[in-house]
Amino acid sequence: MKFSVSKEKLLEGLQLVQNVVSTRTTLPILSNVLLQAADGQLRLTTTDLDVGVCGSVEAQVEKPGSTTLPARRLATIARELPASEVIIEVDSKNTASLRCGQSYFKIMGLPEEEFPPLPRFEGAKVFTLRQKDLRDGLKKTSYAISTDETRYVLNGILFSFKDNKLTMVATDGRRLALIDIETEFPKSQDVDLIVPTKCVNELARLVGGDGDVTMSVGDNQIAFDVNGTLLVSKLIEGNYPNYRQVIPGEAKERIALERELFFNAVHRVSLLASEKSNSVKLVFTKNNIEIAANTPDVGEAHESLPVTYKGREFSIAFNPEFLMAPLRALGEDEVFLDLIDEMSPGVLKIQTPFLYVLMPMRIS
Amino acid sequence: MKAAVKVRSSAFLPVQSLKFLCVFPYFPPFLPSLLPVDKLLTALNLPAASERISEALKKEVSADTYERWFQHLEVVALDDSTITFQVPGQIHQLWIESNFLALLRSTVMLAVSGERAVRFVFSDEPQPASNTAPEWQIAPATESDDALPDDPPSHAISGMNIRNTFESFVVGTNSQYAQAACQSVGNQPGKTYNPLFLHGGVGLGKTHLMQAIGHHILGRKRGAKVLYVTSEKFTNDFIDAIQNNTLQKFRKRYRLADVLLIDDIQFLAGKERSQEEFFHTFNTLFDGHKQIVLSSDRPPAEISALEQRLVSRFDWGLTAELQPPDVETRVAILRKKAEALEIKLNPGVLEYLAERVRTNVRRLEGALTRVASYASLSGKQPSTEKIEDLLKDILQEEARRAVTIEQIQKRVAEHYDVRIADMTSKRRPANIAYPRQVAMYLARELTKMSLSEIGEAFGGRDHGTVLHAHRLVKDRIRTEEKTRQTVSFLEGQLHR
Repeated sequence: MKFSVSKEKLLEGLQLVQNVVSTRTTLPILSNVLLQAADGQLRLTTTDLDVGVCGSVEAQVEKPGSTTLPARRLATIARELPASEVIIEVDSKNTASLRCGQSYFKIMGLPEEEFPPLPRFEGAKVFTLRQKDLRDGLKKTSYAISTDETRYVLNGILFSFKDNKLTMVATDGRRLALIDIETEFPKSQDVDLIVPTKCVNELARLVGGDGDVTMSVGDNQIAFDVNGTLLVSKLIEGNYPNYRQVIPGEAKERIALERELFFNAVHRVSLLASEKSNSVKLVFTKNNIEIAANTPDVGEAHESLPVTYKGREFSIAFNPEFLMAPLRALGEDEVFLDLIDEMSPGVLKIQTPFLYVLMPMRIS
Repeated sequence: MKAAVKVRSSAFLPVQSLKFLCVFPYFPPFLPSLLPVDKLLTALNLPAASERISEALKKEVSADTYERWFQHLEVVALDDSTITFQVPGQIHQLWIESNFLALLRSTVMLAVSGERAVRFVFSDEPQPASNTAPEWQIAPATESDDALPDDPPSHAISGMNIRNTFESFVVGTNSQYAQAACQSVGNQPGKTYNPLFLHGGVGLGKTHLMQAIGHHILGRKRGAKVLYVTSEKFTNDFIDAIQNNTLQKFRKRYRLADVLLIDDIQFLAGKERSQEEFFHTFNTLFDGHKQIVLSSDRPPAEISALEQRLVSRFDWGLTAELQPPDVETRVAILRKKAEALEIKLNPGVLEYLAERVRTNVRRLEGALTRVASYASLSGKQPSTEKIEDLLKDILQEEARRAVTIEQIQKRVAEHYDVRIADMTSKRRPANIAYPRQVAMYLARELTKMSLSEIGEAFGGRDHGTVLHAHRLVKDRIRTEEKTRQTVSFLEGQLHR
């Protein structure tokens, strides 16, 4: 096998796939990237057996063929190459010679046959979404995914396809983010699936362009096709908890907030939130919110934020990180905070179908 | 993003480490004498522990939080080191563990006087299991949504008439109390009145109310295991189980029910083994906070040959009596029934029927059906004569039930062991005068005769005497339990 490729293209291809390669693996082949050269294209594939990515870049193929090479090492080399054109030649023993300008590298590879093939999808359910929508959904929910491995069903985002709507949900037991995305698909395709965190992270890197993303759901697996790059992942088995139970009833007070101002104020005040209690207090009075935090023996911080508020005076405390996460992720200028009382969860909303439920902390 | 992740994982740390910590023995070795008492107290009485914890939690959290997360919290196991709660679903466990664990643990500590590791199990989650991977190819998720939860109830309600709901029950003063009790049980099974004991004569709606409870609970919680059986079926199942050596299966069937409805419990009388089995079933369900509803044609204490321990248990909860409906209620029942059957009859006809058929709702409805079918077949409204003709047998039966003064005198005389002649004689020793007064009271209550007619029948006494007797007996009924029993017994005898 022999091909030449521009340094930028090679780097682009490797960056697309190298994240999947796990750093510690018992199977050496999984730290390699599968390279397949044919028809003016170089295909690159990596997998950790849970998630796999396959993308391709343009290349001048002199002799078609395939091999596998250590992915991270190849990427490090590619980043440091001196010239723009790279020529790679691989012999029958899977030893690669890489030439670029005056540099020469010899890299030992492993045969292609050892590389686990990506699963095939036949007779699968297919959904099409706009990349922008999916990116938005991922961004607005993924920060709420649980990292507690004992609760494995929560280590991902629930994709619930129902009634021509994709509902994406993430929760860790203290807060819950939910977004609805309108999309069209036959009713027979209604399905609930849990996409694991790793796949979510990869997907978030891939989507964002103008086109569509095609999702194929197979037997406990899912594949995303983003502009020709294929992301395949296992799904988390099990039932997602009945998240609707969490969503509070009608709010008593609704406060419209300028997202950035509110975020900055909370962020500043949180600098003096104690590590132990880790809470910021929001005190609502007429047309004003006072945000306050204190750490015994260290100090305290207050900040006032003028808002339109005519409801009763009360205060509620939240974990500042949990309060800031959605404010950081949302792009909208205006957000709404719905509250019932100091003991009930707060709900953050925007004009479009999204909500974020956040449990309050006890004010001592 | 990164910071958030960090905080989140550390936020979980205390939860896990606490969990781990509380596995350690909670009683210091120098307090060994406390242990056995405490153990006895807690291990035996799970419902009481549930109750205590629920009450304490109610005070700590907002009403919405309580309703949303703790309302269905139940202690299902408790030992020296661990307390196990049953919650409705996975989400409840998640949310309670993440947000209320410290609160729950301190509540538990106070309630059972000692630290326990907290565990959860969840009952059937109503959420449809639509994302099990292998299933989607076979059936679209939406269809299985409906099909899945539907299945168990339809099995569970076997033997329950779908028409017997609260909506179709006509409430009158005669049944107000019983209906309210049933409604409350339907809303909160196992929480309010447990066991609920309904009693009343034939055809007054015991079965209807019981099944209404069943339907109501199923309507609210689709996965609930509602078991409706007659006591005869219970006995037969039990006999079968003994015969085929399938007692385990039998016990599983009855003791795992969420709601057990047993109709006509009086038929258990005299069946000792069945009673014993029922006694244990009753205890298991009662201890597990499961709702039990029983019905009988008479109050628990009056069912002969029923073991005392069962009687005392039936009296434990609430006993509600169903009485024969008054004429307004009877008209209302007929209207409702006519509406349900989509038949149109003159209001006069309904009133006539309600007036003539008094004792039994079932017979009342039978009469209506008969008149209605005549009306629809002949295409004309039946005249009074025609109705009398149609309902000849029913009306005769009703008439036969009409009580005469002679019957009353005879029955009362027999009961008090005096001569019938004494009823009409002028003699007035207490042992004769009192039965005579009782007889007069019954005559006033049960017949349509006027005061002076009654006085006449009792040896030419004047109407004031009758009035006085009526008042006197009525007072004694109110104040003396024994008199009440005697009079209602005599009433029952006369109506038979």
